[in-house]
Amino acid sequence: MNAPSPALVAPRPERLRLVGQRRQLLAVMHQRLMFGMVVYAGIIALIALRILYLAAFGDHAGRKVSLTSLVPERGDIVDRNGDPLARTIDAWTIAIHPTKVIGDKLALARRLAVLMPEHSEEHYFALLRSGKPFFYLRRRASPALVEAVNALGEPGLAIQREPDRLYPQTTLAAHVLGYTDVDGHGVAGMERAFDSQLSNQATRGSPLVLSIDSRVQQALEHELLNAMTKFSAIGAAGVVMDVKTGEVLALTSLPQLNPNAAGQGTDEARFNRATLGVYELGSTFKPFTVAMAMDSGIIKSFGKVYNCPDQLPAYGHIIHDTHPFGGQCTVAEIMKESSNIGTAQIAAQIGAERQKFFLRKMGFLNRIDVELTERGRTLTPGSNWGPLEVMTVGYGHGIAVTPLHLATGYATLFNGGVYHPATLLKVSPTHPVPRGVRVFSEETSYRMRALLRLVVMQGTGKKADAPGYRVGGKTGTAEKLLNGRYTSSAVVTTFAGVFPMDEPRYVIVAMLDDPKATKDSYGFHTAGWNVAPVVSGTISRIAPMLGVHPDRTREPDMGQVLPFVHKTHPEE
Amino acid sequence: MSGRSFRSVFMVASCAGAALGCYLVSLRVASERAALEEVETRIVLAQRDLRVLQTEIGTRGRLSQLERWNAGAFALSAPSADQFLKGSFELARLARPEHQVDFQAPVVLASAPAPASQSPVGEPDTDDGGASAPLAPDILLHQASLKTETREVPARQIVALPQTIARSTDKPATADKPAPIKSVEKPGLAAAHQSAKKEAAATVSATPKKSVDKPTAPRTKPVTKPVQIAKVDPLAPLPGRRSGTPKDSTADR
Repeated sequence: MNAPSPALVAPRPERLRLVGQRRQLLAVMHQRLMFGMVVYAGIIALIALRILYLAAFGDHAGRKVSLTSLVPERGDIVDRNGDPLARTIDAWTIAIHPTKVIGDKLALARRLAVLMPEHSEEHYFALLRSGKPFFYLRRRASPALVEAVNALGEPGLAIQREPDRLYPQTTLAAHVLGYTDVDGHGVAGMERAFDSQLSNQATRGSPLVLSIDSRVQQALEHELLNAMTKFSAIGAAGVVMDVKTGEVLALTSLPQLNPNAAGQGTDEARFNRATLGVYELGSTFKPFTVAMAMDSGIIKSFGKVYNCPDQLPAYGHIIHDTHPFGGQCTVAEIMKESSNIGTAQIAAQIGAERQKFFLRKMGFLNRIDVELTERGRTLTPGSNWGPLEVMTVGYGHGIAVTPLHLATGYATLFNGGVYHPATLLKVSPTHPVPRGVRVFSEETSYRMRALLRLVVMQGTGKKADAPGYRVGGKTGTAEKLLNGRYTSSAVVTTFAGVFPMDEPRYVIVAMLDDPKATKDSYGFHTAGWNVAPVVSGTISRIAPMLGVHPDRTREPDMGQVLPFVHKTHPEE
Repeated sequence: MSGRSFRSVFMVASCAGAALGCYLVSLRVASERAALEEVETRIVLAQRDLRVLQTEIGTRGRLSQLERWNAGAFALSAPSADQFLKGSFELARLARPEHQVDFQAPVVLASAPAPASQSPVGEPDTDDGGASAPLAPDILLHQASLKTETREVPARQIVALPQTIARSTDKPATADKPAPIKSVEKPGLAAAHQSAKKEAAATVSATPKKSVDKPTAPRTKPVTKPVQIAKVDPLAPLPGRRSGTPKDSTADR
């Protein structure tokens, strides 16, 4: 065999180069592989770490959306004792997608008309054929109806739960609460005034506490409604207020309104007579005139004598009395018999400036100061506040205010003479009583007690007396202005009362709009016959609940007035 | 040698074990937390149900509905001022027994003859139940002969049927007679009793209206006198006498 050639043994130089290259190539490949592995391992480590982290701190897969606190869609409204007056509940809503209906539309319309008879089957059929995507059939449907509709088995029917505003006490305090629109925003009453607080996520968890006491409210509404029905009045209003704090315990306006279906109520029912309606409240103003005169030093004793003729000519008009004295009369008698002539003379002595000063301080010349947005503008003589106007305003004519104004005024007069604005929110550490404004002196406030107690004991307000509760107050019968003329056929009768008179705590104002005379009232339609019994009935119901203890032996200091009452007139 | 070679394996195993332990702890914590949330959710759901039920009850029992029920069924009204009491003293006063004047009780007058006055006055004090006592009150006590009864009581008796009068006249007869006689004789002497009753009725019904007082007075007088002696202590204090007389008078009648 021939020996291998050296060329065969010794590597060829190009081959040697090839080996070097290869080694280099391998090294690069190794490097790249290593790099890829590191990256790969890094990613895996990252994922593993993430998994570990999630296992340790993350949420588990089966976790539900937590319901850790019960925050309603819209805040509750409760009365001062915590009884709910407005709540948001989950109500059933029945709707339909006409385009998704797959069954026989005519048959479906027929069955819907049977279940929901508020519309005819033609209406439902037209609705189904309209081609529109969505219709509400019924909001706040009863569970029975929902079950029946569900049993139809039509996939185009949508049955859902939606938050809905419910007023559990129905008509109770409807004008205070107001109501909401379809979207759940307040459009009247406290729902409107506190809409942002009630719908704000942060504040809606705690309820809005009103000063209303639902038991007092119910008593007042019931008694007023009875009187309104009995005397065929077109409307009524009532207020019960705490004298010291200005808290409104009850505020009602009739005819009734059901805020659960506010849209079905008439405009008349939606109208708030207690804060939006302004009325000439007549003789109930007379105590203010006497108090102004006492504060101004004109009247120093209830025995001050005025000349009270049968009629008093004044600046081209003639002022009449229902019970003419035809001679001399004392201040006590003027109040007891509700004499316009006597009061007009007292008012004339006060003068326009002082009268306006006192009325402005009591807030009678402006809109009522209360949380509601429904507040009526008062009507006053304005720029032509002449001597005649002073006289008529003195006995409550020519000035129109709301019943809540009147209640605030009486509270001012009998709480020691300090004006506090009315409030519908419960007084609490978070809502303290605002600083008051002194209007009348304490002395005047104290002495007025006996005068108004006299009206109820012997005068025109006898029927307002609730035995043992020391009711004091004043009747007022004002003729209504119809077609620009005052007519005696239509009147507004009012009673503003305070109890217990020896230590005033609550004011009650009741008003009937256009009550008619009945057989029981012997043909009279004055306040002493129709609205005074409302006050008596209401007080005997609410006073024990409000902690007023009946006591037949207690009376205010009647020695200030009784000596000055000389003759007794037959009532009315 | 083997330990040395397996050291890394042990290290890895212990590391893995520690990691697994940590993981188990965190898993346990997470599951506890989830359970707690579950409970919280159930509490909130229960609260929501409570709220729904409260709303429903409140709506069904709303004040206007209660008022309607009251008008229809209960007819409750506000309490009057007299129904309030100021305290325990006024409450206790309500339980005080009412003092009733018994118009039927005989008018008893005490009159002592002048000579015998010393001994009877002393005697009842020392021995009330003594042998001489029955004599002394006999002298001392005089029942008024003229009985002025109240107008209402005789009028009622007159207006009523004779039977009721008979029953009322029957009572004194049974009362003044000893009790055993009454119980024994009742079945046997029913007829006799009835006739006596009728007699009494006849006497009463026969009497004219205006002189009701007179016949009843003499009839009761002789009968009740011994009873009177036995029961009335002439010198007993006033309350004792008061409590004694009604008993007497019922027996009297």
